[in-house]
Amino acid sequence: LFVQTWLVENTGHTSPGKPVLLRCRSPEKETFACWWQPGSDGGLSTNYSLYYTMEGSREDAVHECPDYKTAGLNSCYFNKTYTSLWITYTISVVAQNALGSKSSDPMFVDVAYIVQPHKPENISAELRTQDQKPYLMVKWDPPHKADTKSGWITLQYEIRLKPEKGAEWESHYAGQQKQFNVFSLHPGEVYLVQVRCKPDHGFWSEWSSTTYTEIPDYFRPRDTSVWIL
Amino acid sequence: CAHGDAGCHLLSVSDLFDRVIQHSNRMHSLSSDLHSEFEKYFLPVRNQIGRATHKCHTSRILTPNGKENAQRTDREELTQVILRLLVSWMDPLLQFHQSVAHNEELSNFSSNKALELSDMVHELKSGVEKMAEKMQLLGIISNSLNGLFPAEASLSSSASNEARHMRDYELLRCFRRDSDKVQNYLKILKCRIVPEHGC
Repeated sequence: LFVQTWLVENTGHTSPGKPVLLRCRSPEKETFACWWQPGSDGGLSTNYSLYYTMEGSREDAVHECPDYKTAGLNSCYFNKTYTSLWITYTISVVAQNALGSKSSDPMFVDVAYIVQPHKPENISAELRTQDQKPYLMVKWDPPHKADTKSGWITLQYEIRLKPEKGAEWESHYAGQQKQFNVFSLHPGEVYLVQVRCKPDHGFWSEWSSTTYTEIPDYFRPRDTSVWIL
Repeated sequence: CAHGDAGCHLLSVSDLFDRVIQHSNRMHSLSSDLHSEFEKYFLPVRNQIGRATHKCHTSRILTPNGKENAQRTDREELTQVILRLLVSWMDPLLQFHQSVAHNEELSNFSSNKALELSDMVHELKSGVEKMAEKMQLLGIISNSLNGLFPAEASLSSSASNEARHMRDYELLRCFRRDSDKVQNYLKILKCRIVPEHGC
């Protein structure tokens, strides 16, 4: 402690601040990643290590993060080999520099409950008509990384659309369907359509990229009112 | 329902799957609701929350914990794992309901939900049994389902209130996890057996 105080007084350097584990997410229930926010580095080169234990394994079996690169800056990626469901991971990050080290608060993670899928893909909106009225048939695919075919992950979808110049989105819940028909559209407008998805219990994906579709003007209903003079 | 009975609609395997999957879905959301309610009530012990202090009593049942494991597990074994999990929860959920019903700090609401949960696990177990019988009849799975030995829950009758709350909370955490497993395994089985129905 004496040495440390002496160093602080003379150089302004300190031991690292407490890092904060921000979140852990799995896009498909097969892999996951965690991200943290570093604290102050105390003016020194500071190293961050992520450690975890798994429920059920021996108390002292502490593992270090298998991959600091794949998920970007200040992250740890767990590939299929390192990912188990229905097991609590206890995770913490340790910051270390020449003057000392500081551990984050631990985070408890069950991969089954941190799923946030990628966005739905290949959104298409096809103009169709029924009884001479236009409607949009919106179709999409699940994110290609989510294995919905085997039943391992089930996704629900929400679509939203608005006229290009409109301010408000109109949303529709589509359940597990991968297509949805939208009626009551304004002729002569270009509509923006987006889709997002969510697993049974987990987080909504981001909204997909936007598909633009024009509802032609010729659908405008003819003026059928009668003037009584 | 015997074959040929008037007004007796024979459910297809995929209908049976849809029913039990729906049921397991409701069971999971109910357990999630109760779980969050417990979190609200017991804020003082919140620093404990999330921490796996005790092993779940069902942790002795070997269950596939990843997609590839689950896909390698054959139909009979997966069916058996589902049934074993359900059977292992029948008694503990009854005890849990009694504990919640006698707890004055908790609402009637929680008590009713606990009772509902206990009923649901029974119903789901008979639903899955019926489905398994049907699959055996149709030759989809073999007749080699072994006996079901429930994993015993060792619910200690702890003295302090706080310990009891913690125990109930842990129990819910375990049940929520197991009901998620059950639902997931049912969906995998369904997509393997009747892939043309919504997979």
